[in-house]
Amino acid sequence: MILDIDTKLLKKNAYRVTKQRGITALRIRVPGGDLNIKYLDIIKEIAEKYGNGTVHITTRQGFEIPGISMEKIDEINELISPIIRGLKDEGVQIEDEEGGYPAAGTRNVSACIGNRVCPFANYDTTVLALKIEKLIYPNDYHVKIAVTGCPNDCIKAHMQDIGIIGQVEPIYDPSRCIGCQACVKNCKRRVTGALTFENFKVVRDPNRCIGCGECILKCPTSAWTRDEKYYRIVIMGRTGKKNPRLAQTFIEWADEESVLKIIKNMYDFIDKYIDKTLDKEHVGYIVDREGFKKFKEEVLKDVKLPKKAKVANHIDYTGYRYERNTIYD
Amino acid sequence: MGIELDVKSFDDALKILSKNYKIFAPVRLKGKGAFSDTDLVTYGEISSYKDIELNEKSRYSPKEVIYPITQTLFYFTEDEYKEPEIDDKGIIVFLRPCDANSYLKLDNIFLKNGPYEDNYYKRLRDKVKFFIIECTKGFSTCFCVSTGSNKFLDYDVFVRFDNDKITCDVKNDEFSYAFSGKEVEFIPEFIEKNEIEVKLPDIDKISQNLEYVFNHELWDEYTKRCIACGRCTVSCPTCSCFSMQDIFYKDNPKCGERRRVWASCMVDGFTDVAGGHSYRQKYGERMRFKVMHKIYDYKKRFGTTMCVGCGRCDDVCPEYISFIKIVSKVTDAVDRGESK
Amino acid sequence: MTNVYMPIKAEIVSIIPQTDIDYTFRLKSDILPQHGQFLQVSIPKIGEAPISISDYTDEYIELTIRKVGTVTDAIHELKPGDFLFIRGPYGHGFPVEDFKNKNVVIAAGGTGLAPVKSIINRYNRNPKEIKKLNILVGFKSPKDILFEDEIKKWKEKFDVLLTVDNGDETWKGNTGLITKFIPDLKIENSDDTIVIVVGPPMMMKFACLEFLKRGILEENIWVSFERKMSCGIGKCGHCKINETYVCLEGPVFNYTKSKQLLD
Repeated sequence: MILDIDTKLLKKNAYRVTKQRGITALRIRVPGGDLNIKYLDIIKEIAEKYGNGTVHITTRQGFEIPGISMEKIDEINELISPIIRGLKDEGVQIEDEEGGYPAAGTRNVSACIGNRVCPFANYDTTVLALKIEKLIYPNDYHVKIAVTGCPNDCIKAHMQDIGIIGQVEPIYDPSRCIGCQACVKNCKRRVTGALTFENFKVVRDPNRCIGCGECILKCPTSAWTRDEKYYRIVIMGRTGKKNPRLAQTFIEWADEESVLKIIKNMYDFIDKYIDKTLDKEHVGYIVDREGFKKFKEEVLKDVKLPKKAKVANHIDYTGYRYERNTIYD
Repeated sequence: MGIELDVKSFDDALKILSKNYKIFAPVRLKGKGAFSDTDLVTYGEISSYKDIELNEKSRYSPKEVIYPITQTLFYFTEDEYKEPEIDDKGIIVFLRPCDANSYLKLDNIFLKNGPYEDNYYKRLRDKVKFFIIECTKGFSTCFCVSTGSNKFLDYDVFVRFDNDKITCDVKNDEFSYAFSGKEVEFIPEFIEKNEIEVKLPDIDKISQNLEYVFNHELWDEYTKRCIACGRCTVSCPTCSCFSMQDIFYKDNPKCGERRRVWASCMVDGFTDVAGGHSYRQKYGERMRFKVMHKIYDYKKRFGTTMCVGCGRCDDVCPEYISFIKIVSKVTDAVDRGESK
Repeated sequence: MTNVYMPIKAEIVSIIPQTDIDYTFRLKSDILPQHGQFLQVSIPKIGEAPISISDYTDEYIELTIRKVGTVTDAIHELKPGDFLFIRGPYGHGFPVEDFKNKNVVIAAGGTGLAPVKSIINRYNRNPKEIKKLNILVGFKSPKDILFEDEIKKWKEKFDVLLTVDNGDETWKGNTGLITKFIPDLKIENSDDTIVIVVGPPMMMKFACLEFLKRGILEENIWVSFERKMSCGIGKCGHCKINETYVCLEGPVFNYTKSKQLLD
């Protein structure tokens, strides 16, 4: 059997070169980790008929169907066309529905379960994930984005190139406060201690408040209520063999419009500064090379941040280097 | 006889009434629920029919209309005490029979307990006109029939909201000028059966077996389950406890105020005495104290069950503790205990 | 409408330190309370606290106040000529009319002596009102002893037993809890003896049990409760024990009632 396959195209088509010659695996995108149950039948069919009867749930919340013969790619692409059409119906720009996934560089936008289910979430993460998907997919640049409902950061937004963390501005009505201090005690124990109790009422230090909304949840009388939704944008977190590091705050108290525009602008930044001699270059390494200042200028182009927003002046990435940070006995 | 109105003429009536009255009803506050993208249904001032939320039970009760969470008793300037003024307007409250009955329960504490009437309560309470919202179905956690709070006959106006048709029985002639519409046959109805029926314990049996009931193991469970957050008590239409607070203004320490603020027997600090001692440290003991007040000792003192069966405590408990279930357990224990 | 929360101004005439943290404040006042009643005492902008009346005449009242919180800390800063704000008296005191011509035993622990001191002084002024008075007072240590001069005076007329839980090298008197001394107390006609017990909750509980063992009738034992109170008039709910409001029905209770106050 002759196997003459353009692996670059194969990878772009969301298939993988595996350790077993001629055998590939397909990654199904699940934006926001939220999938209509009807698509499970298709995934099941492929896994049973073409794969090895198993499905792997990826770290980015997709489904990976292993054990597929490379020869069957066209057939499978036809089979998954309803899933691709589903993305298109949601507004993702895809031309050829029958040709499988048009790109794989920009990874699935993952999300925690968000406020459809979780009481802590400050917004609907599924909706935002899909809005981002529409904005950036298909795209070949290797970018990882995740959105999470609150600073608990269950999706690990701090491990992404762009992480979006839900914030809420808590509004305090002192006349409704009975002074039980449930919020004060909780903020001290579980958050940043932004609340203090003075003159029988609660005082919030806006510089310490991270907008998690726990005070609102703890309040028995609704003395704390929700106001506008905001987002913290953390950037350039990563794993990898070179320099793993947590993402750091770029902007806090951003609005949704700014979040989307900044993400869009980041793709222009990548386009402008990526080292085209390389096979691929992660955005974090581009920022490392070009500098945070340049990145900031480029991505904030035409962005109208809300008044409340705070933009980092400087980011001091410490990160971690395998060869330097460990001292052995 | 009743008067039938459409939305427009009902709104006209509200407009006329609002000249002399502040009008309160359950309202929906968009996005003000504790969880994101949820609403808060509570009592607020209204000016038209569309402001009234009729499909969901309010999380907080109308007690805050006459008994605000924070109420200033005095303003201090140097060593002088000055009482705050209040609004001249009367108060109209749209409320269901259970909540109307809760006002009578509060009356017992504020007006009849001890030798004095509470003047701050009385001056607001005296203004209240009851506009009863007809309630024939209730909600899933209601048990007003069991507590005998399903009816309220001493109303000023009784209102049936039937989609956009509004029928009023204007009992208090003082209000007839505001309502103009077709005269129709109208017999106000009250709920006769809730989904939930609760057997209340016999208070004489409790009195005879007080130590048995108080030391019963049923309370122990709540020491583990309850988190002492106080949600049940702040949502309760009959809870009336408060603490006094004196403060001085930060920008002018010579001036300040004394106010009273709701307190909760479930929350830490309620029984703290000078020197650090406190009572009922176990949450199960607090639960017992609260439950017994609602179904036993208040009745012993005033001859009527305190609880009005609105079910809000069950609705709001974050730990899914059911007051209704506790009452049943107490009744069971009392019945069984007696036969021993 | 009468404002039941409106206090009246009362001038501090003198301040007598009893211990480092207990001061007696004498206020100009014509309030004539029952023995054992209390006042709501406040300083505007600081707060209000229930304080039992430790003594009174028709010209003054005395409050012995321990420095244990925001309000009492601030009261301790005051000087003669300053004002306190008071309302009351509230609650039920001791029914001294019923004690006439009887043997009376008063057992007081620590600050519990304050609410009964006026009774002792009443009998000190008029010893014929009762048959006999035994006084049993206990404090934590010698430096905690309250009303030392008065106790000395009482000793001239009555049987007084003063004890401290823990003595020091200079202490030559009794040591031990009050309850230790009850079994050996000289009580004649125990079924016609009135006993008043005031002090910390544990002390009251066990002292009452000791007195019962001595044959004192339940209905002849009187206690006084200390509870958190915000209003003093049956509204705020803090002092409630089951159906009983300590501010209304108490703070003085007959033992037949107090034993039913389960918490």
